[in-house]
Amino acid sequence: MSKKLSPEEIVKYFKDEFKTKIKSVDIRKKTAGLKKHESVNIWMKIDKSIFKNFIKYLCDLQYPHLSVVSGNDLGKTVELIYHFTLGYGTRFNEIVLNLSLELPKSKLEIETICDYIPGALVTEREKQEMLGVKIIGIPDDRRLFLPDDFPKGIYPWRRDETGPDKMYKNLHEVKK
Amino acid sequence: MKFSMLPRVFAQLFKKPWTNKFPAKYQPNNTTKYLADVQAGKAKINPPIATPPGFRGKIQYDKEKCIGCKLCIKVCPTDAIEYKPEEKKIKIYLARCAFCSQCIDVCPVKCLSMSDEFLLAGTDPYEKDLIVE
Amino acid sequence: MKQKTTTKTTYHVPIGPIHPALKEPVYFEFEIDGERIVDVDVKLGHVHRGIEWASRKRNPIQILYLAERVCGICSYCHPTAFTLAVEDIAGIEVPERAEYLRVIQGELERICSHTLWAGVAAHEIGFDTVLFLTWEIRERAMDLTEYLTGNRVTKAIMTMGGIRRDITKDMIPTVTKHLNYLKDNFEKLRSVFLDDKTVKMRSQNVGILTKEDALKLCAVGPTARASGVKKDVRVDTSYFAYGDLDIDYITPDILTGEVNGDVYDRILVRLLEVKQSIDLIEQCLDKMPSGAIISEPNTPKLLAQLKKVTGDGIGRHEAPRGEVIHYVKLTGEESPYTWKIRAPTYNNILPWIPMLKGEQIADIPIVAASTDPCMSCTNRVAIIDDMNKYELTNEELHNLSIKKTRGLKK
Repeated sequence: MSKKLSPEEIVKYFKDEFKTKIKSVDIRKKTAGLKKHESVNIWMKIDKSIFKNFIKYLCDLQYPHLSVVSGNDLGKTVELIYHFTLGYGTRFNEIVLNLSLELPKSKLEIETICDYIPGALVTEREKQEMLGVKIIGIPDDRRLFLPDDFPKGIYPWRRDETGPDKMYKNLHEVKK
Repeated sequence: MKFSMLPRVFAQLFKKPWTNKFPAKYQPNNTTKYLADVQAGKAKINPPIATPPGFRGKIQYDKEKCIGCKLCIKVCPTDAIEYKPEEKKIKIYLARCAFCSQCIDVCPVKCLSMSDEFLLAGTDPYEKDLIVE
Repeated sequence: MKQKTTTKTTYHVPIGPIHPALKEPVYFEFEIDGERIVDVDVKLGHVHRGIEWASRKRNPIQILYLAERVCGICSYCHPTAFTLAVEDIAGIEVPERAEYLRVIQGELERICSHTLWAGVAAHEIGFDTVLFLTWEIRERAMDLTEYLTGNRVTKAIMTMGGIRRDITKDMIPTVTKHLNYLKDNFEKLRSVFLDDKTVKMRSQNVGILTKEDALKLCAVGPTARASGVKKDVRVDTSYFAYGDLDIDYITPDILTGEVNGDVYDRILVRLLEVKQSIDLIEQCLDKMPSGAIISEPNTPKLLAQLKKVTGDGIGRHEAPRGEVIHYVKLTGEESPYTWKIRAPTYNNILPWIPMLKGEQIADIPIVAASTDPCMSCTNRVAIIDDMNKYELTNEELHNLSIKKTRGLKK
C-alpha cells in the first residue's frame, strides 16, 4: 500500500512533470512527544490549468485520501485548498499534501475529481453552494447544506456583495 | 450462550440499585407547597450527590477586590459580563454564562471563584438569583 | 374478461429529517421494492448553525468554547483540532507533560463515546437490558471525567499551548480505581456483544462495506477500519504523545481472523478500541514526565502573540468517529479570517449508499447506527403508496426492528 516516500521525493515527482506551473512549495515539519518523531505537511500552490492532470498524476503515485476542500475569498480571487493525505497504513508514514489554486472571480469554474475519487462528491457540492464555484462535470449538483428556498446568488462564505450580510439577524444583542 | 444476560438479570434482583435516589420517594401533589414545607423543616428530601472538588458551578464575585481591568469581559465567549463604568465593577448574567471558568483563570487579583451550586434553574433570565454583582 | 396487466413499481420512502436510529437530523429517501432497498438518496443541512460564521467576531480563546459546542459527545476533539491548527501557524511549543495529559483526556472521551454507542446499538436491535448494562459502566467513566475536568460533558480543558488542569499525585489513586473498574467490566461487555447469538444473527452479513468502496469513498474511523482499511491518525502521524506509545491499527482480523466489513465487524472494532484506550491511559500515567503544563500561562499575552501571526494551518485529530480536520487562516486581526470545520461523519455519509442497498427496511436502524453518525434522534417514516399515504411513527419502526429479532430467534 505505501512504500516510504519522503516529502522531497514527492515534490520532485511533481516538479519533474509540471515544472513552472507549480508556483510555490513549502514543506513544514513538526516534532512531538519525548522521542521527537516528525510529522510533515506540504503546502503547494499550482496553476489551475494543470489541475486535472495533477490529480491523475497523484492517483498514479498512490491512491490519496481526500479529507476536505476548504475555501477562502481573497478579494479578486477565490482560493480553493484541497487537503489530501498520502502514505496511510504504515506507522509514521503519512504525509499531508495541501494543494491550493486560485480562481478569478470573473470565471469561477473548476473540473470535478469525482471520476478519480468518488468520495469528493459531498465536499464539491458544498463549494458550489457556499462559494458560487461552478464544478464542471459533477454527477449531482443539487444543494447540500443550504435549504432549497435559500435565495440563489447569495454565497455564505464570500465577503463581497454576494455575501449573506442582509440575511442575518443580530439575535445576541438583547436588552440587558 | 443464547441468553447470556439472564443470569445477570437475576443477580440484579438481589443487589442494591445503581441509580441515585430521587429527592422525594413519591412525586408530591403540589411541588411548590412541598418545597415550602422542606424550607420550613416539615418534610425531608434526599440531598443531591456531592460534587467532586474543582466542580464548575455558580460564579462567586468578591466585589472589594475587583479593580475594573475588564480582562474577564475580553475572554468571555458568551458576552455574559457587563461593565459598570461609574463604579468600575462588573455584572455577570448567569443566564448567558457557559461555566467555562476562563474569567476565573484570567483575573489578576483572583476576585472570581467557582462554587459547587448547580441547581440554578429559573423562569426569567433577568431575575435576581441569576445576576451576580 | 378484462386483461389485467400489473407493472411492478418501487415505493419511495422518505426517512428523516429527525429519525429513530440517527442522533442528528438527516433526510434519507429510499426506493424500496417489497422489503428490499433498491436505491438511497441522502440530504443534509438540518442542523446547520452557522458556527464558522460566529467565529468571525471572536478571538481565539473564545472560539475554543464555540468549537466545544459543535457536538456534545465529541466535545474534546473539536477544540483539539483547532488548537493544533493555531499552534501550527504560530509555532507554539507545547511542554511534554501537557502532551501526555492531552492523550489521557482524548482516550477518556473515546471510552465514553464508544460505550454510549454500544448501548445505542443494542437498543436498536431491541436488547434494552444491554443498554442499561453498558450505560452503567459508562457512568464510571463520566464520574472520572467530572473528577478530572469539572464537568461531565463540556470539558473546557484544552487551550493553546497546553492544557488547563493537571493530574497531581493525590489524584492518581482515584484515577487508577476507576480504570480498574472499567478493565474488570470490559470482559462482561465483550462476552455480551460478541458471543451472544442474537447479536450475531442480526449483525453478521448485514450492511457490508467492501474495502474498495471504503477507499474510494474516503471513509474514516472505525467504519473504514472494520472494512480492512488501515487509517488512524494516531498511528499514521506523530502528534501529542502518541509517537512514544505502543499503539497499532485495530482491524477485525485481530480477533476473528477475517474481515467482512459488516455491522458485526464494526461492533468488534469499537469494543477493541475501548480496551486499547484503557491500555493507552495506563501507559501514559506510567511514562508521564514532570514539568509545566502550559507554555504561556498569561492569557492576555497569548492573545497578543496570536494577533501578530499570519498564515494558515491544519489540525487533525482522531475523534471517536474518525478523522476530524480543521483549517484556520490568521491575518493579523483579532478573529481568524477563515475557519473550516470538517467533522468525521461528513466523510462517512457516502458509504451509507452501498451499505444500505439490498437490505431490508427493518435493518435500516442498525446499519445507519453502526457507522455511529454524530447526529440526534426522533421519528416519522412516511410511506407513499399510489392511493393512500400512511405514516409510521418511530415506535412502529422500532417495533419492526424488534419483531425481526424475535422472528430470527424462533
